[in-house]
Amino acid sequence: MYTAGIDIGAITAKAAILRDGELLATAAIPAGYDRARAAGRVLELALAQAGISRDQIVRLIGTGYGRVLVHGADRTVTEVTCHARGAHYLCPEVRTVIDIGGQDSKAISVGADGRVLEFVMNDKCAAGTGRFLEVMAQALEEDLAGFGALALAASRRVTISSTCTVFAESEVITHLAAGADKAALAAGIHEAIATRLATLVGRIPVRDVVVLTGGVALNVGVVRMLEEKLERRIVVPGYAQLAGAIGAALIAYTDVMDR
Amino acid sequence: MSRYPRLQSLQEISEVMKRYYVQRSIMARLRPVAYVTSGAPVEILEAMGILTLYPENYGALCGAQGAAVGLCQVSESAGYPADLCSYARSHLGAAMSPKQAPLHGLPRPDLLVCCTNICGTVLKWYEALAEVYRVPLFVLDVPFQRTTPPEPHIVAYVSEQLHELIAWLQAHTGRRLKQERLRQTLQYAREAVSLWQEILAFGQHRPSPINAPDLFVAMAPIVTLRGTRKAVECYRHLKAELEERVARGIGAVPGERYRLLWDNIAIWYRLYRFFRPFMDAGACFVADTYTNAWTVALEVDEPFTGMALAYTGVFINLDLSTRLQTIMKLARRFQVDGVVMHANRSCKPFSITQYEVREALRAELGLPVLILEADMTDSRLYNDGAIQERIAAFLESL
Ligand code: SF4
Repeated sequence: MYTAGIDIGAITAKAAILRDGELLATAAIPAGYDRARAAGRVLELALAQAGISRDQIVRLIGTGYGRVLVHGADRTVTEVTCHARGAHYLCPEVRTVIDIGGQDSKAISVGADGRVLEFVMNDKCAAGTGRFLEVMAQALEEDLAGFGALALAASRRVTISSTCTVFAESEVITHLAAGADKAALAAGIHEAIATRLATLVGRIPVRDVVVLTGGVALNVGVVRMLEEKLERRIVVPGYAQLAGAIGAALIAYTDVMDR
Repeated sequence: MSRYPRLQSLQEISEVMKRYYVQRSIMARLRPVAYVTSGAPVEILEAMGILTLYPENYGALCGAQGAAVGLCQVSESAGYPADLCSYARSHLGAAMSPKQAPLHGLPRPDLLVCCTNICGTVLKWYEALAEVYRVPLFVLDVPFQRTTPPEPHIVAYVSEQLHELIAWLQAHTGRRLKQERLRQTLQYAREAVSLWQEILAFGQHRPSPINAPDLFVAMAPIVTLRGTRKAVECYRHLKAELEERVARGIGAVPGERYRLLWDNIAIWYRLYRFFRPFMDAGACFVADTYTNAWTVALEVDEPFTGMALAYTGVFINLDLSTRLQTIMKLARRFQVDGVVMHANRSCKPFSITQYEVREALRAELGLPVLILEADMTDSRLYNDGAIQERIAAFLESL
């Protein structure tokens, strides 16, 4: 039996297909401005990878900000619930999920069964989100993965004091104009985002194992600096970016089994 | 909206409030008008026949009518910072530009009475008003209450100022305070407060016949008409209607599944709309800290000590541990399943304790708490997408 989950985020559209509750295929593409189309496309890609057709999917669940745009979804579930379930699937010992999304960051306290016990989300501000990192990477003309590596290679850190993404960007430009070292700036930027995240995470009781999900998990700079701030090891499971879609597909599977 | 039966008495209260504003603007030509803060000892002014008006209530009205943002911009361009309480910004905006304000602003005041038991904002706000209108200002200084009951010297200090207030009002209006009138006014206020307590207690029923947004509409008279017969009448009717609902097993939210507690001031520009996703999920806000702030009983026999105690002990003038106890008591008494806190950008004294309270609610009662950032009247600080997302995730986790 096949179930599917589609996660339409602020930046990326992701899909996951399960066979009898086990991960079979995934896909991820930029969400673009036409989210409804991206939802259809990303599912097609995952279906092709799985080698099955749309009508073989028994149940489909949409999640993420654009979840209402997932055409043909049987129901929608929020990202918080889906990321918790997905992270639990990828790492069953998880008790704390940190998800850094494009426009939202969240810290979720998870029960032994993958249920949400409690969660907090960032203030209504882009600081501490994937968007912040993206803007900064662009300012330094780096791609996301390279940006993190650059930060880790730095021997110094330039402190970025503005919380606001827009002001932080102009701060970075000022530093660049003053001849600051690019790696030191990258390190400072990563530290700024890690500090914001650590504050957010501190609002729930943090228990091991801590798992990082969402696209930003691919950035080693953020992972290391967050570990430093939280004084804990952080696990980045394979498919971290797809945790939301996997969680949605899992919930779809449980829905069917509970019927 | 039809799935959620409206209470008839709320319609009556809305009518009363409409008339209140119209009547007061007519009567303002005949009687002295005082602007008062929401925590001011209005019974004294009421008993002296001085018309009272509440800029804060007016701010809420601007919010509810969607006029607050425009008015805030007026005061912001005059130099008031965007971090200032949006009631103050809305009202000052209305004072500066009455043409674009609901009801063309409030009638001009003859006097200003500012009581500092709610915040420090009102002090500067009223000083600004004194300058705009060139009218005398009385500041009733109420110290922060760190113990319950408050230290005796605080009670003595406040009670002495109440006498000063009377003398000041007499000097400025030529009106005398008749003890008999004060007694009668206090009696009405006491009765209204005790009816209000009973109304709030209805939330203990399962299902609850009343939901927080209903209370936000219903509260206007306990704030603005306390000490009048009208308030007592409104609340008698509401109480009777609630009794009937209970007798017939009618809940404010059909199919009540979750019972929640609300913290902080209402989000006036989305009064019912905000609660819609909760209602749809069968979640009823059976208690709240906001409307509960008007339940401090007044003593008739020792009027001055009684008023001093009541006005010192208002919710946001209390220390953290007393506030915590109040909230815990509400949570237990109303058997709630979770708490939603509005982190209100405007009202710092109300919001400042929220993270501590959240910790305690979780540790001691195991209750999930959702904190939502917004503002009571400035809708520019409300991000609907983000808020809907948090509400949906919270409801899923219950
Ligand atoms: S800061 Fe709070 S208490 Fe003070 S006037 Fe504004 S809303 Fe009222």
